[in-house]
Amino acid sequence: MRKTYRYKNLTFPISDDKEVILEVEFVSDGNTGQTVINVPGPNDKEINNSGSKLIGKGSDLRGDSTICFSDIANLIPEEDEIRIRFKINDELIVEHVNQKSEEERPIIVLSIKFPTL
Amino acid sequence: MKYSYYTKYILTLTLLVFCRISNSQERLNKLQAPTSPASSILGLQPSSVLSPKSYQALEAALYSNFIGENGNAIIPNNFALEFTPYWTKNHSLSLDEYLYPKGFMDQIIRNSSFSIASTQNFQLGDSSATNGLAFGYRTTFYLGNKKDREEIENYKSSLASNQLITSLIGSEAESLLVNQKVANIAEFIEKIKSTIETTINRNLSDLETVQKKSLIDEIIIEVSKLSLDINNYDSFLNSFNNIIDNKLKSKLLFNNYKEYIMDRQGWSVDLAYASLLSFPTNNFNLSYVPRHSFWLTPTYRFKDKFKFLKIMGVIRYEWYNMDYFKKYFVDSKIYENNIDYGFAISTEFDKFSIKFELVGRRSETEIPVGTDSEGNELYKRENSSDFQYLGSFNYNLSDQIILSYSLGNRFQPILNPDNTLVSLLSLNFGFGTPTEKTLDLMK
Repeated sequence: MRKTYRYKNLTFPISDDKEVILEVEFVSDGNTGQTVINVPGPNDKEINNSGSKLIGKGSDLRGDSTICFSDIANLIPEEDEIRIRFKINDELIVEHVNQKSEEERPIIVLSIKFPTL
Repeated sequence: MKYSYYTKYILTLTLLVFCRISNSQERLNKLQAPTSPASSILGLQPSSVLSPKSYQALEAALYSNFIGENGNAIIPNNFALEFTPYWTKNHSLSLDEYLYPKGFMDQIIRNSSFSIASTQNFQLGDSSATNGLAFGYRTTFYLGNKKDREEIENYKSSLASNQLITSLIGSEAESLLVNQKVANIAEFIEKIKSTIETTINRNLSDLETVQKKSLIDEIIIEVSKLSLDINNYDSFLNSFNNIIDNKLKSKLLFNNYKEYIMDRQGWSVDLAYASLLSFPTNNFNLSYVPRHSFWLTPTYRFKDKFKFLKIMGVIRYEWYNMDYFKKYFVDSKIYENNIDYGFAISTEFDKFSIKFELVGRRSETEIPVGTDSEGNELYKRENSSDFQYLGSFNYNLSDQIILSYSLGNRFQPILNPDNTLVSLLSLNFGFGTPTEKTLDLMK
C-alpha cells in the first residue's frame, strides 16, 4: 500500500491583508510531483514539481484548514532519499524526509490553519 | 605474517558487517559485476572490456578463487573499491536536469567515479610477491536520441497527469474530512463524486467517454466498500488514495518509467583511466608506476524485446614502463605500447547476467640497436599480436551482493606466458550512497 505522510494541526498566524505564498522546494535529486493547495473557497492552486504560488490573503484563508496535497515520485537510481521543504512566506513549516527504501512515491499532506495574527 | 592475517580478517569482517548493515534496509538498485578500472589494471579481473558502472555510489569487491592449494577455503587478499562522490550530496536536481544534462561537463561531474585496488600478491619476475596498488577514474556520457526523448516525454506527461488527478481528488477528500464537511460514507461519496468526475474528464483526454465513465463508476464502487470512522479517518483516506492510484495504474507506470531511466536505449560512451603503483621491495619509500591504461568503451543498449541485450566495443591503450620491467622482469618479453580492440555482448536477466568478449591486441616496442655514425641512437621496432576470449557469469545473491565467475583464454601474461587459462571467482558488495551524515564516523 502506498504510504501517505500527514502533517496535521499546522498553524501560520497572519494578518488579514498579508499575502500568503506557499513554496514547495525539492531538496533531494530527481523528484517529480504535483501539488494541489485546497484553500477555503474556490481558488485552489497547483504547483508543478517545485515552485511557489500565491494562495490568497490572510483574510481569504480563515475558518477551514488549507490542505496542501503533494503526489511525489523519485525515479533516479542514484538517490536514496526524498527530501522536500514546504515554506510559507519563506518560513519553513515542514521538511519532509523519507528513505526511498520505505516509499518511492510518497503522498504528503499538510493541514494548515491561518489564524489572525 | 601474523599482522597480515589479522589485516585480512579485519578487512573481511568489516566488509561483511557493512554488508549486513546495508542489507538491513531494502535496497532499490541491483549491483552489477565488478569492473573498476583500478582492479582491471591490477589484473584482478581478466576482462579487457569495462562494462558501464552500476548506480551504486560505493562498491567493494573481493577477488579470490576462494580455494587454496590444499583445497581449504582462503580469505581473499585482493580487494577493490569504487566511489562516485557526486551522489553523496543533494543538489536539488530536477528530473529534467537529471535526464537532459545541459552540457558534457555536467555529465563528467555527475558520473565521475574513482577506484582503488590493492593486492599483496603482485608477482615480480623472480616470483616474489609484492604489494601493488592501483588508482582509476572513469566517467560516462549518454548520447541522447529522438526516440529516447519521445519515450521520456510520454512517460513524463502520463505520470504528471496521474499525479495531478491524485492530488486534485485527494486534496478534496482530505478537506472534506479534516474540515468535518461529511458525517458518513454516503455523504462523503455524494460530495467527492463531482470532483472525481470533473478531474477525470478534464485530465484523461486520451480515454473515450465510455472508458472515463467506467473508470469513475469503478472508483465509486470501490470507495463505497470502505468503512469510515469520522473520528479516525486516516486509514480511510489512505485506502481512498490507493483506490485512485490503483485505478490509474500509477504504480505500473512509475515502475516502467523507472526501469526505462535505468536502461535508456541508445548509445553511451565510457572513458576510463587507471595507473598502477608497484612497491617492488615492499618498502613504501621505493615505488614505481609501471603501467597506465586508457579505455574508450562505446555501449549500445537495445529496446523493447531486446532490452536485455547490450553490445560494447572497446579500445584500450596500455603503456608499460620499460625501465621497471627490464629491472624486475628480466626474462619476460614486454612491449611498451599495447592497443586492445574488440567487442563484448552482454545479456541481463532478473537474477543473472552473462557476458562474452573477444579482444585482439597489437603490441609494439622500440629496441635500441646501437648508434649511427653521428652518434644518434638507432632503434628496431618489434611487433606482436595476441587474442583473448572470455565468458563471465554473474549471479545476484542479493541486490547488494554479486558473485561472478569468469572462464576463458586471456592474453599471454608477463609471467608464465603459456598460462593463459582464466578461472576466477569474485564477490562484489554495494553500499548504496553514503551521505555526509553516514560518513561522519565520529558520531
